[in-house]
Amino acid sequence: MLEAAIWFWIPLCLVPVGIWFSISGKAKSVGKLVAVIGLILVMVSSWTVPSSDSTAGGHLLLSILAPSLLLAYGVHGTVFGGNVPVGRLDSSARWSGAMAILTSLLIFCLMHWYSITPLWRDGEVNPYWIVFWPTFLLFATSLSSVAAVALASYGDNRLNESISLAVLSVAMAGIALAAMIFDGYMTTSNEFRDYLWLAAADIFGTIVGISLAIAAFAIVIWAYENSLPLPENSPPPTEEEIKHVVSLAKNHIGGEEE
Amino acid sequence: MKQSQSSWKLLILAALLPILVLVAINVTGEWKNDFHPESFKRFGNAVLTSYVVMGIILIGNLFFYADSRHRPFAPFVGMIFALAVGIVIAWALISNDDLLLEANSGLRAQMLSNVVHLLVSGTAMALASLLAIGVTFAMITGRSRRVLFEEE
Repeated sequence: MLEAAIWFWIPLCLVPVGIWFSISGKAKSVGKLVAVIGLILVMVSSWTVPSSDSTAGGHLLLSILAPSLLLAYGVHGTVFGGNVPVGRLDSSARWSGAMAILTSLLIFCLMHWYSITPLWRDGEVNPYWIVFWPTFLLFATSLSSVAAVALASYGDNRLNESISLAVLSVAMAGIALAAMIFDGYMTTSNEFRDYLWLAAADIFGTIVGISLAIAAFAIVIWAYENSLPLPENSPPPTEEEIKHVVSLAKNHIGGEEE
Repeated sequence: MKQSQSSWKLLILAALLPILVLVAINVTGEWKNDFHPESFKRFGNAVLTSYVVMGIILIGNLFFYADSRHRPFAPFVGMIFALAVGIVIAWALISNDDLLLEANSGLRAQMLSNVVHLLVSGTAMALASLLAIGVTFAMITGRSRRVLFEEE
């Protein structure tokens, strides 16, 4: 238990702490370093504490790191290869980005249907793979569908883009349907169908839990702000302050100093 | 106003429909996969774990971003109380017979398993968001800019 705490749980806690320090600007580089070291330690925890079952989560993160980075690279290329006012890339970045996105999705599919399924102890499939895969497919299907409807209803003449997003949603649903029908390399379609229920429960549960936490936070802040006394009126400006402001305004409006 | 409300309803329907269709196929397909008995436990565990973890993240934000307010103590205590309520409910429901205990040996194992589970499902949802939102922006930026005003 102590080894698991040192090599898995403490590094896992270091990740958000590092991100907090980095974002708050108090220790940007140290915060980033702490977060990255924490993440690396979590990912290699299946070697540092092989006896802990929790390390399967870290092992899965390491297994999906390459396709995830490829996906992020692809998204960056396709977005910034288009008509953006700042940070515009070469137009070829759009094609390479699209290829990177397709390749990353293909790798995820091969991880399910081919021999590159993440394996954990004794050649057994990582137990969290069958949690990750249906959750990813269900959530991607749902979000793409929302994006398609949002573009069609709020956008101006965005029907073609909306149809493309609807196609993405249907494609992700198609992959999920294929996994429900055809066995994977290391997992059966029956297992996938079972975990589809659990993935749906996971998605709804996580959204409800996060919403409740944000609502509690909003209530706490609202109650605190409501309890504060009204700010006192500041005293009127003195003659000297008024003269100073008037002279500043004159300089800017009249341009006498230029 | 009415149009705005109907659009929100449409978006919620668009989010739920694909999941419901897949679950419906799961139930009605030739394999007749009934409601998974552990689904309620997973839902309950996901609600409580994400509430507690999100609460901790929000407390961290209170601490790191409270400089402009001279670090008031009251909201900090309020959030810790809200978090404590979540932890006590989680402890009570997991300890209570077989209500939320999944295939784990006890309370501590279940709570730690819940955190790792959230880490994995959260990663899956984050990657899915990256894909969907990224492709949406790629579609939006893919079209050449329209000329709004012709120069005379």
